[in-house]
Amino acid sequence: MAHDNHGHHELSFTERYVFSVDHKVIGLQYLITSFLFLLVGFALMGLMRWQLAFPGSPIPFFGHLFPADLAPNGVMSGEFYNSLGAMHGTIMVFLGVVPLAVGAYGNYVLPLQIGAPDMAFPRMNMMSYWTYLPGGLLMLSSFLMPGGAAQSGWTSYPPLSIINPGQTVWLLSMVILITSSLLGAINFLVTTINMRAPGMSLWRMPVFCWAQFVTSVLLLLAFPPLEAASVLQLMDRVFHTSFYLPKDLVILGKAYAGSGGGQPLLWQHLFWFLAHPEVYVLVLPPMGIVAEIIANNTRKPLHGYKTMVFSMIAIGVMSFMVWAHHMFISGMSASLSNFFLVTTMIISVPSVALMTCLVFSLKGGSIRFNVPMLFALAFIPLFAIGGLTGLPLGLTVTDIYLHDTYYVIGHFHFVVVSGSIIALMGGTYYWFPKWYGRKMNDKLGLIHFWGSVITMCGIFGPMLFMGLGGASRRLYDPTAQLHNLPVQGWNVVATYSAYLLALFQIPFIYNFFNSMWRGEKTPENPWQATTLEWACPSPPPHGNFEKTPTVYRGPYEYSVPGRKTDFWMQTDKN
Amino acid sequence: MSKNNDSRHDEHRPDVGLYVKVFLALMVLTLITVAISKIHLPRPQAIALGLFVALIKASLVGALFMHLWGENKLIHKALFITVGFGAVLILPIIDFVMVSRRITSPADVAAQHPGGHGGHAEAVSESVKLDAPAVPAKGH
Amino acid sequence: MSQTYNPTAFMNNADTHSGVTNAKLGVWLFLASEIMLFATLFTSYIVLRMASSSWPWGWDVLNVPLATLNTVILITSSVTIVMAYAKAYDKDKAGFQKWMAATILLSLGFLVVKAFEYGAEFKLGIGPHTSVFYAIYFTMTGLHGIHILGGIAVNAGLLYMSSVTEHWENPLFLGRVEGAGLYWHFVDIVWIFLFPALYLL
Repeated sequence: MAHDNHGHHELSFTERYVFSVDHKVIGLQYLITSFLFLLVGFALMGLMRWQLAFPGSPIPFFGHLFPADLAPNGVMSGEFYNSLGAMHGTIMVFLGVVPLAVGAYGNYVLPLQIGAPDMAFPRMNMMSYWTYLPGGLLMLSSFLMPGGAAQSGWTSYPPLSIINPGQTVWLLSMVILITSSLLGAINFLVTTINMRAPGMSLWRMPVFCWAQFVTSVLLLLAFPPLEAASVLQLMDRVFHTSFYLPKDLVILGKAYAGSGGGQPLLWQHLFWFLAHPEVYVLVLPPMGIVAEIIANNTRKPLHGYKTMVFSMIAIGVMSFMVWAHHMFISGMSASLSNFFLVTTMIISVPSVALMTCLVFSLKGGSIRFNVPMLFALAFIPLFAIGGLTGLPLGLTVTDIYLHDTYYVIGHFHFVVVSGSIIALMGGTYYWFPKWYGRKMNDKLGLIHFWGSVITMCGIFGPMLFMGLGGASRRLYDPTAQLHNLPVQGWNVVATYSAYLLALFQIPFIYNFFNSMWRGEKTPENPWQATTLEWACPSPPPHGNFEKTPTVYRGPYEYSVPGRKTDFWMQTDKN
Repeated sequence: MSKNNDSRHDEHRPDVGLYVKVFLALMVLTLITVAISKIHLPRPQAIALGLFVALIKASLVGALFMHLWGENKLIHKALFITVGFGAVLILPIIDFVMVSRRITSPADVAAQHPGGHGGHAEAVSESVKLDAPAVPAKGH
Repeated sequence: MSQTYNPTAFMNNADTHSGVTNAKLGVWLFLASEIMLFATLFTSYIVLRMASSSWPWGWDVLNVPLATLNTVILITSSVTIVMAYAKAYDKDKAGFQKWMAATILLSLGFLVVKAFEYGAEFKLGIGPHTSVFYAIYFTMTGLHGIHILGGIAVNAGLLYMSSVTEHWENPLFLGRVEGAGLYWHFVDIVWIFLFPALYLL
């Protein structure tokens, strides 16, 4: 993509940009693809939000473009709404944020930050992208298949999911996507363990590398259970087994033909066994990005580098033991609920430690308020709102009231959107000079930043209010239930905020592509950063460093007393 | 930081004689497993014995064929971490142990928690009522 | 960046931080994920079995003699592949090819026996839909069978590569043989647990 490196080694266009084995090209492939998937997921949500704000009225502009069985007379049908909901969640999590956080940033930045010439297995890296893309396209194509897309949410709870024809494609593409993630995770782990430059001990790795490392462990060990669970559900769909179907199941007045004897709850356990660590996969790399940006722009070392790393490791370990807090009202055993309540409270400790370190890092710094720093600063309070609103959901008593309300949706969107995605966008502004040797425009960046932050609060804030007011989630027509009516006005606010958020992404997209070719040229190390990725040319050539760098110090040696410059690069001996 | 690559593969120089011995041991153990199943033990004993023999066989293959014996510590660590996280999968099983107890009947549950832990027994029998519908899954 | 950049140059680098080659570490991490995959399947098996009202004895409904034969075949193939590794270690090309071919033949034999077993069951009208027991039986043995197929592909690839002399000069080759061996032993271990779990207990 972009930037031409004419001349050296006779690589054809396809080898260089399509089936490239260069981690940087693969990283950018991931970046563009996952941003596109984020847009698609966002568009699906835009349609849903119209239905939620104005149930029963035709979708403007696009309504008549859909076939009549999806949207008769331009009004969204219930089935269509369900598939939009399922696909929005799936696309955003598995095709948008995770590939962006891990596939894109991890791929591009991690080898550079540890001083490696490439990933440990470059060809496997390429395969990982080329299984992710077909998996994603297969997922999207399910809208066009007979029976439509999956309709039972990104969680796919049986038995509902198993009686839905779109589920087969969902499961198949999940298996493909999981394979892609596994290839990536193995690669990241081996790279981090084996390929560090001389002198780059584990305790000299930037926080971002640690975040990617812990994330990869989570991906490696949490995804296979979902793969197994998906295979079982696929068997249920294709070969009519009854892994998740209880005895004497009656669907629409007809007895289900299968043998029965399975356990619907088993799926929930196995699904959340993955999906809770997955939440930390969504959160840890963005936290790493924020840590990089904050250290760089406060011009002082991070407060508590080791605390942050140990917190991340603690989060990684604990994240495997908290999953059933998603299942408090599922009929799970009550004594086990208590266990998960306790572990959930425990995992909030390292999370708070991380946030506290980030806040304390600001103290006494001479802060540069550039665009990436604004995103990093916005991350802290917005993510904190997301995190703190999660506590009532981790306590069984309050969860029973809140679980099926909009509160849950508000909570995790604060975490993932105004937390992770804000940080990931900040990462784009921060590393753009590395990718293209040019800078993104500051003015457009500011418009994008303020517009996004305010509208995001306008979408997810109302969800919290609605949820506390008792509005049920997953409803096609919120006005169908009387108790939702008093807070219906908030739905309208959220919908218009969502459309404004879409508008505010236009400067970002324009800025991205415009700056790629016409942005202001930047020197090798425009942010005066200390970490290794700024010690090679921008964009780095194939093989990254001209000669293997040697690392002499920790990652955040800013404002060291007695030095001329306020930063001391890891590669500078003195 | 790095270096010391002279050690190469030398610590796992293949030992053909050992492989043959392991092979014979595995064959004998296979016969033992099948033989145990022939005497039709009660289920708990059969399961315990069967798993025990399978564990021995698996450790033989892992330690000697896969050279885990004397392997680099890093790989041991990776496996320990994996096994640790895998062990967490015991939790769903525990949940279902409790579920299957609930299926039996509230009376059974009360019998399994006699007196003493009155509060606990109460909590369990209460969840019996909560679980009355056959399909615990929710969703609109 | 004067010479052509060769990405594979970093794959045979024994001079790593950990002292383990990239390839070997990669294979072990892959096996770690496989452990989680099969651990989940076994967990599901235990859960379904405990929550069901009745569960048949495997030897009542499945063909134990054939399965025992398969166990013997698979264990033998585990020995032959480790012998192939020993020969590769000594750079004995003919010996390597002999043992590797034996491994592949044995694994094909495993699949043939398995096919007979499945065939007999299908003839009786028994399939994965029959009951939860058969569902887990077909799923687990089927998934194991897919792993066998993958192993055959890898081993056949190595056998083919061994006929080219220059691969013997490449230090990567022994690592590949070792990796294939590790995977194959893992498949064997899975069967060691599957066999009693499904057929005998």
